[in-house]
Amino acid sequence: MNRSNAGSLADLQRAFQDYVLQSGDGFVGSVRDTSKADRTTLLDVYRDGYALRLIEVLTIDYPGVLAMAGPADFDHMARAYIAAHPSHHPNARWFGRHLADFLVSTPPYDKSPAAAEMARFEWALGEAFDSPDQAPVVAEAVMSVPPEAWETISFAPLTSLRRLDFAFDVPTSWQRREEVEPGELQVAALDEPLPWVIWRPELRTNFRSLEPDEATMLDAMIAGLPFPSLCEALLEFVNEDQAPARAAGLLRSWVEEGMIGSFRF
Amino acid sequence: MNDIGFGLGLRHDHYEEIVAAPGKVSWFEALSENYMVAGGMPLHWLDTFRRDYPIALHGVSMSIGSIDPLDQTYLGDLKRLIDRVEPLWVSDHLCFTGLRGINMHDLLPLPYTEEALDHVAERVMRVQDRLGRRLVLENVSSYVTYAASELTEWEFIAALCQRADCEVLLDVNNVFVSAFNHEFDALAFLRGIPRERVRQFHLAGHTNNGSHIIDTHDNPIVRGVWELYAEAVRLFPGVPTMIERDANIPPYAELLAELDVARDIAARATESGPEARQAAE
Repeated sequence: MNRSNAGSLADLQRAFQDYVLQSGDGFVGSVRDTSKADRTTLLDVYRDGYALRLIEVLTIDYPGVLAMAGPADFDHMARAYIAAHPSHHPNARWFGRHLADFLVSTPPYDKSPAAAEMARFEWALGEAFDSPDQAPVVAEAVMSVPPEAWETISFAPLTSLRRLDFAFDVPTSWQRREEVEPGELQVAALDEPLPWVIWRPELRTNFRSLEPDEATMLDAMIAGLPFPSLCEALLEFVNEDQAPARAAGLLRSWVEEGMIGSFRF
Repeated sequence: MNDIGFGLGLRHDHYEEIVAAPGKVSWFEALSENYMVAGGMPLHWLDTFRRDYPIALHGVSMSIGSIDPLDQTYLGDLKRLIDRVEPLWVSDHLCFTGLRGINMHDLLPLPYTEEALDHVAERVMRVQDRLGRRLVLENVSSYVTYAASELTEWEFIAALCQRADCEVLLDVNNVFVSAFNHEFDALAFLRGIPRERVRQFHLAGHTNNGSHIIDTHDNPIVRGVWELYAEAVRLFPGVPTMIERDANIPPYAELLAELDVARDIAARATESGPEARQAAE
């Protein structure tokens, strides 16, 4: 074979990638036609495949966004995202991690805050799905804590736990994503933002909404505050006499639901 | 290698069916990146199947041919997965998957030049040192022919095996696809690969667009690939075989039936050349 069009390995790889990313066509001169196909047709197998492969990744990660947008709008949005956020991770599992922020900050998608919330919810579900395995704290362990330790004890959530607030009826709508025609999923605005929690105690991912005081206390727990401060956080909702009992009740339910990963005092 | 036999790609669509119909295959090939996660269901299933089956690990993102530095974080994650799975062998593709920090998530072919050979051989040796085992590299399907290439693909692979002491995952479908696209003789490819280096066969379906074939893994294996497989078995007897299906995934039973065809062709090819040709036809 001849060396007439020889370029360095680095030059060829850069030109190839530029062609696929549509940032340069110089690579056309480095490859040959065949008797059956011209080189541009053959090169475009890579250019087309690049977008289609990453669109498929987003389709798998964001079925709720797809159900809201429909295939055509989703495809258009996905191509804009691919151009803005090329993958920097060897595992395509992480490719879509910026989608919610992209939708919030990029016209015209910034006009559809419900889609951004759906993306944030779906990404959080994915994060919980394959987060580190961790056995939740069991009730017996908490009950064996000596009384004096309750002045200093602090709790940490499971590493899979995610706290989110939604101004739209996102999780409930998400559950209907396969019952509607693509593009037909409606996600209603709420009168007030609703707090939600996502967590994975064993292998199955759970999510549910939270009462306002529960969300406040959970946020305080996630921040690492000790139990007396969790009680204080509830004073916005209940009086001083009721706070310890309400805090203990919420803590008990979180333990029973497997949300607590550890505690220390 | 003779006792490893016939396997399938481990796909989550089939997890429940595999549990319901145990022992239908001798081993599975797991896609490494699918299990390079912290925990949860993917690793639970992998551990479950590993208890009952040997598993080979097959990666798509090592980017062994890239001019970017080797991704040491990726190799560390892969090493942890290897320690967990204790795989039959560890494979990836002879290609590059991106550079300048961008991952294209595609198997981009290399120019078959002495410069590329030096580059890849040195990286394969470093990866093998890091992983503490031989690396098995798969020939990719490719669609463009570099004007700069100085070697045939099979000359490049044979030289790489020699220099880096690595092994080959011979994808019979990819040989077929690339032979069509680049207009070379598929048998010449097979005959150019050192017999003792072939660790595994891949079989898969593809999409023929008339002017070129795309390696889509979304269809049953075509007759021409079966015929080439029979030749491959004659040249490389006893090499473990598996079928890849990555899209339009059929029920598990359908792939098991396709694997029975591979078993039949391999048995006939091993017994007698002409009979194997009949089976393939």
